[in-house]
Amino acid sequence: MSGSHTGSAAITRWVMIALLILYTIYNLGPILWLVISSLKSRADLFSMPPKLVFTPDFSGYQSVFGVGAAKDSAASIGVFRSLVTSVLVSTIGTSVAVLLGTLAGYVCSRFDFRGKGDFMFFVLSTRMLPPVAVLVFYHMMFAQLGLADTRIGLILIAVFINVGLATWIMKGFFDGVPREVEQIAIVNGYSRLYAFRKLVLPMVKGGIAATAGFCFIFSWNEYAFASILTTTKAQTLPVKISTASGATGIEWTQICAAGVVLIVPVLIFFWLIRKHLLMGMTFGVLGRK
Amino acid sequence: MSAMLELKGVSKAYKGKQALRGIDLTVEDGEILALLGPTGAGKSSTLLTSAGLVEPDRGTVHLAGRDVTEAEASSRDVAVVFEGFNLLPVLNVHDNIAFALRSPKYREPEAEIAIRVSRTAELLRIGHLLDRDTGTLSGGEKQRVSIARALVRRPKLYLLDEPLSALDLKLREGLRAELRQIHREHGTTMLYATHDYHGAIAIADRIAIVNDGRVLQTGRIADIYARPADAFVGRLIGSPSMAFFEADLTGDGIIVPGWEGALDPGRFGRITAKGPVSLGIWPEDISLGQGHEGRIYALDNRGYEAAVQVETRAGMFRKVLEGGPVPLQGEAIRFCPRPGAGFLFDRATGALVSHQEGGA
Repeated sequence: MSGSHTGSAAITRWVMIALLILYTIYNLGPILWLVISSLKSRADLFSMPPKLVFTPDFSGYQSVFGVGAAKDSAASIGVFRSLVTSVLVSTIGTSVAVLLGTLAGYVCSRFDFRGKGDFMFFVLSTRMLPPVAVLVFYHMMFAQLGLADTRIGLILIAVFINVGLATWIMKGFFDGVPREVEQIAIVNGYSRLYAFRKLVLPMVKGGIAATAGFCFIFSWNEYAFASILTTTKAQTLPVKISTASGATGIEWTQICAAGVVLIVPVLIFFWLIRKHLLMGMTFGVLGRK
Repeated sequence: MSAMLELKGVSKAYKGKQALRGIDLTVEDGEILALLGPTGAGKSSTLLTSAGLVEPDRGTVHLAGRDVTEAEASSRDVAVVFEGFNLLPVLNVHDNIAFALRSPKYREPEAEIAIRVSRTAELLRIGHLLDRDTGTLSGGEKQRVSIARALVRRPKLYLLDEPLSALDLKLREGLRAELRQIHREHGTTMLYATHDYHGAIAIADRIAIVNDGRVLQTGRIADIYARPADAFVGRLIGSPSMAFFEADLTGDGIIVPGWEGALDPGRFGRITAKGPVSLGIWPEDISLGQGHEGRIYALDNRGYEAAVQVETRAGMFRKVLEGGPVPLQGEAIRFCPRPGAGFLFDRATGALVSHQEGGA
């Protein structure tokens, strides 16, 4: 290889590295800023130029998690209650949606029934409508049923927005499991239920994990429904952050701490299922052997 | 012998597509019946219907004298080896083989299971694989394990769907011999679906030829040679398969284009057709050297033997040479059917239209 050739390759390499550094700053910069801000006292937050060295102030996190002195202070905006709401709504909503989606996905993958195509389209259509279009009617319905501003109501919403997606994704995974699995079991004297529980379900473990991940993220991040259907008692964390203000004005430290708390579960979840996710992204195609 | 499996008029359509159009089939107790037909002929559907995994639209299924048309697959006491996917990935090799012996229907004590699994594994020479995960096996090992899972039980009937077609030639021949050996020792009854003519005659006592969802002919291979019921049978049987010549049935006899003189219809026995027919002759009944004119279209020299493809005015045929000099491609060649050989088929429907007395 000639010298000039090596030189141009080195330049290309440095340009690439520079671009990647810029891209990383662009992406991670705001998050870093958020994390730093969540640890600053009110005075440090607004000092100019911005302080990079400061004494960390954990009052934001204390009030988010409802511990220490900060939770009872007049400045507290009550994010702890919203955190509990978010966790409850997302986990219960995801569990129910994945359970229903797994069962429905299996049926749609294995059985032919009248109107199956229409049913599958209907299921998919629940994900097509922009929530804003139907929010008013949901609001009226929830008010009539006494579900407005309740956690139960939000759990129903979390199930509703996820069950269609879960059904479709799980159908894809079940399609990747050969029908012979159940046939082998049935011919050898087992029931279909046994085959489903003990043979098919273990083969789609990764699919269930990926589906649960998607559903959890969707309901954890859900904003449109939660912002209209709740007012005070059942606000989720994203809604709370957008509306938060305390007796002393906008509490940026608490808001930033809540923002960090909002991001962390998403990171943990995707880190946990990263192995399954790669497989899951291909919707069962690679999972088949 | 009594019938172990009896299908009568079995029809099945999938989403409006007809797969079986009235299958009639009998598997006698203790025999291996090969279901020979091309891809899409309805072999798999026939097996799945026999197993109870597919419900027929019409027709009946009898197993060991009992009407099982409506019976659950789990109650039929059959074993199936599928063409492609056979091993349960959530179980290891040992547990795959022991699978049936632990089911609510066919449960055996664990001590008995251990003995039978190791004995069957020995038989199929997979004893050293018992602790392995199924994902680590080669194709041939996988298929051995799936055959072992079928053999570990003593079901009324084994249903084997192209069990060896995914394997290479050597492995296929070895496993086929093993299956044959197991059959001889235990007197098992097997329905063996295959598209491979050689495989079918090597393993089966009788052959049923299927095409387009129907059984065209069932019988011992010698009987099928003696009286092929359909031109399709001629195309499927033999290596090379039957030679076909376009012919015309006229008042002066049977005219074959390019052949000198008319053939005497009398040699074909009673003929139930008129006009255009196909004259089918087994290549073994054609001698080369003198007679009608043809040309070597292609040559397949395998060293130990050579086969020629001969082009004639009435059609092409393939034949293995019986010694002598190997001709060159493009060379003229003369050929002559053995007197009395040949069958006439309806050119449109393929049905046999010549009926020799005592021929079959």
